[in-house]
Amino acid sequence: MNRGRYSVVLAGCAAVIFSACGQPRVRTPERPGDTMVALLPDPDSGVVGKAVVSNASGAADLDTARASTRVSGNRPPGDVTTLGEAEAKTLFGDLLSALPPPPHHFTLYFQFESDALTAESEALVPEVLQAVKDFPFADVVVIGHTDTTGAAAANVELGLRRANVVQKLLLDAGLDGSMVEVTSHGETDLLVPTADDTFEPRNRRVEISVR
Amino acid sequence: MLTLRRSIAGVLLLGLVPTGASAADPAAAGRIKVVSGAVFVVRGDVAARAALGQVVFEADTLRTGPDGRVGITLNDDTRVSLGPGSEARLDQFVYAPADGRVGLVLNIVRGLVAYVSGRIAKLSPDAVKLETPNAIVGVRGTTLALRVTE
Repeated sequence: MNRGRYSVVLAGCAAVIFSACGQPRVRTPERPGDTMVALLPDPDSGVVGKAVVSNASGAADLDTARASTRVSGNRPPGDVTTLGEAEAKTLFGDLLSALPPPPHHFTLYFQFESDALTAESEALVPEVLQAVKDFPFADVVVIGHTDTTGAAAANVELGLRRANVVQKLLLDAGLDGSMVEVTSHGETDLLVPTADDTFEPRNRRVEISVR
Repeated sequence: MLTLRRSIAGVLLLGLVPTGASAADPAAAGRIKVVSGAVFVVRGDVAARAALGQVVFEADTLRTGPDGRVGITLNDDTRVSLGPGSEARLDQFVYAPADGRVGLVLNIVRGLVAYVSGRIAKLSPDAVKLETPNAIVGVRGTTLALRVTE
């Protein structure tokens, strides 16, 4: 155990000495299982997220565009470097082009204390049908959501009732029922975070995910 | 009300996290949306040629040949693609937020894999793990690319 810790410390010193001397970075030959991880801007929105690369020896945070680290053997993740745009494209451009198209989301709202959609929401139905045509082997998921008023279990049922209303609208408009799945998240997935037992119309909604 | 996070913590404390699937009744996890070249879905001991539109299940392995590429969309809107000469296994996929159960573990055996986070990473970031032979990547959203040397 102690010996293992010493060798990690020694490896760290060696790395410091190398960079202090201004030596060109020597890249050890890659071994099976060696890992390179790069955080990339979201291909659709450009948003850059965050990731933590870790193993038993250490961890590295990635939180800027094209930040990258390598993990070799059981050594801690290497220094975080930033890939150039061209380099990232060479390494991963082809890979990213194999991603399916991003799911398309619609949020529908109901009239107050009613099973009827608002006029604006009902007008979205043709757009949903159009989106379905744009996806290869489309899946349509209709998810009912509630606010936190009332009991959690009752809200799962309430969300499901709302989702069923929307499913019927879609089927009446000509959507193939075999591609539609209906589910409810009850009060577990709030659009606007609130405390329990809080009336919040924006959380009483049905989401349609077309993917 | 039990918040999602609290109920997940409760389940973890009890050590009773169901995987959402048994061998007899695997849970559908997503669908293959992009295929080019040689792509295989390995289920149990059987490797079968992947088809566009095919459903993938928890515990399935995706494998590509030297000219293969594949893209899948999981039920929580997570997207994953594999480049040529790659292999990744969907060790866990649980998406039942109403029951307080969500989890995604993708085991990258070799090659090139891209990951774009979906709802699970939003609802419970700690529930998403990308594993390679020598590292674990925790995700706070959104897009990652990994290369694992064969």
